[in-house]
Formats: sequence, structure tokens, C-alpha cells
Amino acid sequence: METDHELIERVRGGDDEAFRLLVERHSRAIYRSAYRITGNGADADDVVQETFLRAYRALERFDARAAFTTWIHRIAINCSLDLIDSRKRRDAKHDDEALAAVASPAATPDRIVHSIEMQRAVAAAMERLSGNERTAFVLRHFEGMPLEEIGKVLGTQLNATKNTVFRAVKKLREQLQPFTGSLV
Amino acid sequence: MNHLTHDEFVLSYYGEPDLGDARRAHLASCGQCGNELAQLAAVLDRVTPLEVPEPSDDYEARAWDRLQWRLRGERRKRPYFAWIALAATMAVAFIAGVLWKSSSRPADKPASIAATDTSSTARRPEDAKTPVPNRVLLVVVGEHFDQSERVLVELTNLTPNGNTDISATRDRAQELLESNRLYRTTATTRGEEDVATLLDELEPVLLQLAHAPAQVSDAELRAMQKRVEAKGLVFKLRVVRSDVNRDARAPQTSI
Repeated sequence: METDHELIERVRGGDDEAFRLLVERHSRAIYRSAYRITGNGADADDVVQETFLRAYRALERFDARAAFTTWIHRIAINCSLDLIDSRKRRDAKHDDEALAAVASPAATPDRIVHSIEMQRAVAAAMERLSGNERTAFVLRHFEGMPLEEIGKVLGTQLNATKNTVFRAVKKLREQLQPFTGSLV
Repeated sequence: MNHLTHDEFVLSYYGEPDLGDARRAHLASCGQCGNELAQLAAVLDRVTPLEVPEPSDDYEARAWDRLQWRLRGERRKRPYFAWIALAATMAVAFIAGVLWKSSSRPADKPASIAATDTSSTARRPEDAKTPVPNRVLLVVVGEHFDQSERVLVELTNLTPNGNTDISATRDRAQELLESNRLYRTTATTRGEEDVATLLDELEPVLLQLAHAPAQVSDAELRAMQKRVEAKGLVFKLRVVRSDVNRDARAPQTSI
């Protein structure tokens, strides 16, 4: 099987069939990452499309010393961030309503913890994070990515990356503490 | 020693090495900090990853199908826009020349030429009011109709064989689609109604074909063939192409 770098060389030579192989090789993994960040399948699909389109345009600038997987995932995360930012502007009101709904007195903590409502609360709280905060948190908390790597993806220094994760945790804690307080 | 800060609790929760041995030791011996860390963990432990539904088995193929259409646009963008820019410049220059000549002829024509300009190609006074046919447009549209006719004939001649490969026909339809839109707009603007109407009828057929999968079932192929036949498109293309070619070849007495 040809390596990613060999396929990239073919694409640079005008062979689009090689680009198809790259898409088929990486699209599923990118879909999963995008889904975790964006929170739904339709957005994840759009991120996959936009990612490969941007990659195609930028392929001439791809540094052959880098890993294609890291590079394409970085693009995917940036696409996810862009999509979240545009969606956030569009749905700001909806987010507030969603969180208010799950934090209603009728939803008691005991009931929430093991129910789908907790998932909704988490999702609503995640929606309130900025794009960078959400991505940094997803990469650290769900993917277990080291802070240095997250910094490379976001294009931030280590200290700034740490601060982004700290802010994300603080905001999530403020939003979710009422649902878990009685268990501690 | 001071209690841990929020940020240090986060570092501790994620097991980051930055926390330092002294702070770890404090955390291990301080009940208040231990309780605080437990509260943080109670929240974060419940933030579980979203369940990612597994995409269908053909996800990669579908992703590529959607993407390749957009990539075609990318590949064509530069040469396409370069051609459009060139064609637009030529058309503007051409029309400007025609209008300048038309408007300046009666007043500026030297008497000697006017006196000898009695040949059959000389413009009669009543012709001066008729619109100048756009020969450039007609030439390129004639070519476009010719290519479209070939694509449609190819499609209608295909024999359904279970899963018919129409990728070559589809690719040509994709190439023709962009031009079709451009010519339709231009023809409408220039008042070429017959041409614009036919281009308008042709467009949805090209669009459907351009977005079709590489292989189609018998039912899908028959549906596409029926659509072309029902509209009588091949016949109309022949008729209008013939008219267009005649007009394009006709002497330009107005220039």
C-alpha cells in the first residue's frame, strides 16, 4: 500500500485518483473527531468536506517532513472551530434556552446523573465554551492529547494552551456543579 | 503552605507533571484540597465523550462523491475565470466597436465613401433600427449546442445493463453545465430569446446528469432517457443549432 507521502506526490503531479485514496483513508477518522467537537453528524460531514477541500488547496505547501495525519487533523480542527464560531453566532439564543431547560427544578440531580438529561446538560455547557476552549478541552479530556500537542493544533504557546484548558474546565464546572453537587 | 489553586487542581486531575512534588505532597496531606479535588473530579468524570454514531459502510465513497464535484470547481477555477475574463473583454471590445461604428456612421461617413457605397452589402436605412446580431455569442453557442446534442444522443443510446456506467457522459455534462449558465444569462441579456429558452430547458437535464452517480440502475437510466426524449431536446438542439449556425455565418452587414 502506498504511503500518504507517496499519494501526495501523485496528487501534486495532477493525479486526483491519489487524492481519492487519501480521502478514503482518512475521512472516517476526521468525521469522528469533528463529531466530538461539533456535536452532530451533519456538521461533522461538512467539516470532512471542508477539510479535504482546504487540504487540496494547500497541498502544494504541505511539508513532506510532517505527518499527513497530524496535518489533516489540524485542518479538521480549524474547520470545526470555524463552524462552531459561525454556529455560535447563529444559535446563541438557542444555547441559553437549552441550558435553562435542563437546569429546571423539575430535573433533580439524582435523576439527571444517570439520564440522558446529564448528556444534554454537558452538551449545552460545551456549547457555551469558545471554539478554542471546546477544542482544547475535547482534545485533552476525551482524546488524552498532551498539552504541547494541543498547542500545536491551536497554534498557541504552552502557557496559553494551559490557560485555555483551565478556562474551559472552570466554565464547565460552573455550569455542571449544580447537577453533581449532592453526590460529593 | 497555601492551598492549591483551581488551575493546579486541573493539572492534578489530568496528571500533568507541571504540578511539582511539593504541591502533590500538600494535596496528599490537606483534607480541604482533597475535598476540592474530589468535587472537581465529580464534575469532570461525568463529562463523557459524545457517542459518535458509526458512519455507514460506504461513508468514504460518499464523502468522495460529494467532494469530487467541489474539486472539479477548484481545478477549473483558474483557467475558467481566465477564459471568462478574456471572453468578457473581447465581447465588450466587440460590442463597443459595433456601437461606436453604428452611432458614428451617418454623421462621420466621408462623402466619397457614401457616394460609392451602393453595393448589396450597404446598409439600408431601415436596417439601422434592427438589433445587431451577436455573432460571437452565436458562434460559441452553436458549438455548445453541438456538444450538448452529442452528450444527449450518447445518453439516449445507452442500453441499460443492470448497472450502466455513465461516468464519461456525466463528466462531459459537468463541463457543459457551467458554460450553459453563462450562455443563458448572456443570451437573455442580448435578447436572443430562442437561444435563451433552449439553454433554459437544457440546464436541468445537464444538472441532473452532472450530479448523477458514475453507475446508474436501469430504472434511473430509463428515467433520464425519458426526460430527454419527453422534452424533445435532441430535436430542438438540432433545429436551433442550425438556425444559430446560419445566423453566425450570415454576412454582418451592420458592421
